[in-house]
Amino acid sequence: MLRFLVFLCCASVACATAARADLDRAHPPAPGPAPAASFPDYCEITLPNGLKVFVIENHRQPTVTFRLLVRAGAVCDGPKPGTAEIAAELLNKGTARRDANAFAQAADTLGAVIEAGAGEDAAFVYASGLTRFLPQVLDLFSDAVLHPAFPEAELTKEKARSLSQLAQARQRPPWLLSTLRDKLLYGPAHPYGAVPTDAVINALTRADVQAWHRTWFRPNNASLAIVGDVRADDVLPLVERAFGAWEKGDVPALQLPALPAPAQTRTIHLINRPGSVQSTFAVAATGLPRNNADLPELGVVNAILGGGYSGRLFQNLRERHGYTYGAGSSFSSLRLGGIFAASAEVRNEVTLPALQEMLAEIARLRDQPVLDAELAMQRNYLAGNYLLSLESPIRTAERVQEIDLYGLPGDYFKTYARRVASVSTERVEALAKKYLPDADGVTIVVVGEARDVRPQLEKLGQVIVYDLNFKAQPAAAN
Amino acid sequence: MVPSRFFARLAAACFLCFLLWSAPANVQAADDNAPTTEKAAAGSHRIAFTEYDLPNGLHVILAPDATAPVVSSYLLYHVGSKDERPDRTGFAHFFEHLMFEGSEFIARGQIDKLISSAGGNLNASTSYDQTDYHINLPANQLALALWIESERMLHAKIDETGVETQRQVVKEERRMRYDNQPYGGLFEETSRLVFKDTPYAWVPIGSAQYIDRATIEEFRDFYKTWYRPNNATLALCGDFEIESTKKLIAEYFGPIPRADLPARARVEPPEQRQEQTHLVRRPNTPLPATLHAWRVPPETDADAYALDLLSNLLATGRSSRLYRRLVDTEQVAVSVQAFPYLQESIGMLGVFAIGQRGVDLKKLDALLDEEIARVQKDGVTEEEFQKTRNGKESELAGAHGSAATRARALAHYHVFYHDTGLVNTELERYLAVTRDDLQRVAKKYLTADTKNLISYPPMGSPTEKSKP
Repeated sequence: MLRFLVFLCCASVACATAARADLDRAHPPAPGPAPAASFPDYCEITLPNGLKVFVIENHRQPTVTFRLLVRAGAVCDGPKPGTAEIAAELLNKGTARRDANAFAQAADTLGAVIEAGAGEDAAFVYASGLTRFLPQVLDLFSDAVLHPAFPEAELTKEKARSLSQLAQARQRPPWLLSTLRDKLLYGPAHPYGAVPTDAVINALTRADVQAWHRTWFRPNNASLAIVGDVRADDVLPLVERAFGAWEKGDVPALQLPALPAPAQTRTIHLINRPGSVQSTFAVAATGLPRNNADLPELGVVNAILGGGYSGRLFQNLRERHGYTYGAGSSFSSLRLGGIFAASAEVRNEVTLPALQEMLAEIARLRDQPVLDAELAMQRNYLAGNYLLSLESPIRTAERVQEIDLYGLPGDYFKTYARRVASVSTERVEALAKKYLPDADGVTIVVVGEARDVRPQLEKLGQVIVYDLNFKAQPAAAN
Repeated sequence: MVPSRFFARLAAACFLCFLLWSAPANVQAADDNAPTTEKAAAGSHRIAFTEYDLPNGLHVILAPDATAPVVSSYLLYHVGSKDERPDRTGFAHFFEHLMFEGSEFIARGQIDKLISSAGGNLNASTSYDQTDYHINLPANQLALALWIESERMLHAKIDETGVETQRQVVKEERRMRYDNQPYGGLFEETSRLVFKDTPYAWVPIGSAQYIDRATIEEFRDFYKTWYRPNNATLALCGDFEIESTKKLIAEYFGPIPRADLPARARVEPPEQRQEQTHLVRRPNTPLPATLHAWRVPPETDADAYALDLLSNLLATGRSSRLYRRLVDTEQVAVSVQAFPYLQESIGMLGVFAIGQRGVDLKKLDALLDEEIARVQKDGVTEEEFQKTRNGKESELAGAHGSAATRARALAHYHVFYHDTGLVNTELERYLAVTRDDLQRVAKKYLTADTKNLISYPPMGSPTEKSKP
């Protein structure tokens, strides 16, 4: 009965299709002429105090966003890890003119969002709201940037909250994985590899966060992007009034320990998280800093391996083996260094075969030529998706500020699509050999149920087991 | 790809939809086919669109927008997990995965490669009420999206290999999202309690055992039943020309036969007369957490906008009542959220607090109770009321910023509200809510004896206690 219905259905379709002889269903339609991927225009000025200001006009929505980037990330933490992160959280919790509650009240009354945070290389302050409230939003935003009061009471609250959030993070497999990975590859003494602990949070004082702001929050150490429904001529005078009096200052040179040399021997690190029903794992290695000129083209190598659904890792681990919901890889790059990581989460019992497939895919791309069709697909994928991303004015602002932060060539994004689209097979092979890790030099990190997973991992080599506080367990006790 | 964010408002509402869809009135066509068009005035931020039905019932919404040389195709099938049999949960979502397999003319596993090769990306998601497919492409590749979507609608191919692989993949998806994350099962536990005895009681990821038990014929039947042009809405937004696009759509989708849709299961939740509590004892729960949830009407109900604003008033922004009290003043919570989860035929309003280390769950519960009672007893201040309105205006102004989000919103408003133009006018509905309405809906729906309380006591790893 079912077959009969299927047959009927197909027959009627065939008739209907035949009636439209001009439509070829059997082949993909030919595309029209490709649109050019030009980088959007923007306005750039530098205030006398050194603050770089970018205006990216976009009138699609009646909103405006301010995005301040200050070179005041975790790299500036010095002997007190976590300073930048906690200090940034406090920027909108009280200023010289407004206590934390008054500030929140003022922002919420406008329907505006004013948030701050810190990453490894930079701290950020964002404000966004309706264009018709632009002067008020700018007033709150500049108040948070220039005059934070860092009230002792707010610091105490923030520390308590951070301690609880840390307890929560210690049960989250992705956080456990990336924290141990960074510690191993950047080294525990480098801010990129620092591990947050209760002791570190408890040690922070008001003097620490005040010093962070006084030292690093300087206009000549920052850039500001204004994005949205504004005209540069209208908004720049307001910005000059708000930030013109911000005093420039000498910013100290960073004193940082050297990053460790890339690993030469394979190591396997297992964080025991009892109760896990999946192993969350990464095959990782030292990568490259953000200003390395090979990065755009290396993106094609990465896309072949683990970018999107059509990447080899996704196709192999998910579509061929059904080991995982997703698998991919990335080169994540910071100012001073970077990490390559391929990752997936798989049910406990297939941890070993999934890892072996991942290692094999990395080796295959390192050692064997790439087919032309696959290369063409991934070149198009990257160039096309870059074109799609140009629709977002916020993304444009991030890119303009990225050029400034990392000292990239001014035409980096203007030439990006062209560079990606013209990578040759030979170039892919050379880059894969140069930057993908050798199977002997990888750092494998797994978060999972040690009882189930450890015996499997031992087939790959010696396994170091850690607890949820990243303490390596003595071999005998395991 | 089940929605992963707990308070994401994915699909909305139409209380009467099962009546409309089961009626043969659906079999209308050519003469009721006059397109309606909404034009954007120069300089305004309104989204211009035109919409019409193909003779086979496919609803089409076109929103040309030359801001960027991109195009987004959004195809919404009006079928979700609530249309599943209780002994076949997870079907809609499983089928979403199968739709990436191939078709009569697209070989297995080629759909994502065609899109990647064209410089685009694609995704899909399943919720209680809908299954949707997104394709974003450079504008010159529009026909490719139409070809792929029409192929999948006309004759998707479902074979054993694909079914077996996706069975494994979906189980991993469930482990990743629900079983291996702290509070990952919260949504599932909540739905089971608040939506008890309705088809909303199970979540779209469903139960693995039913997917394993189902035969390939059942999957094919599901497809034949629901993946019909008269159960679908296609929204395109981006840089394209209307007339030639209409012609392409007619060519690709016109030949796909319509079919009568089955009657949808009625959603008739039993009346709740007393508080229900549920304790979730799960390992790897780092902090105490509590959820208070109430059943509320679906999204198209007259009270929906007031409920939405009420939840903003409770927990959006650092000056909101619950944030001020639990996180800031008493310092007992790490975070607090209020979310309206309003669906096509039912709704929920929930308040979720994650406590600080060592905080007693009873303390969290008592503070939440107190704050809800305070709204009910004293209402809201004029200042709070204005703040909530501004917050909503700001949120809506920033809501539909890309071709992809616009296409999605247009289809959503058409399918669940039968009013595509709401994409431009929804703010008016919010602004029509009065101060008294906020107090009134708090009193009407957030009552003590209709509360559902879900508690997560903190628990370490399972083997910790068994060790000496």
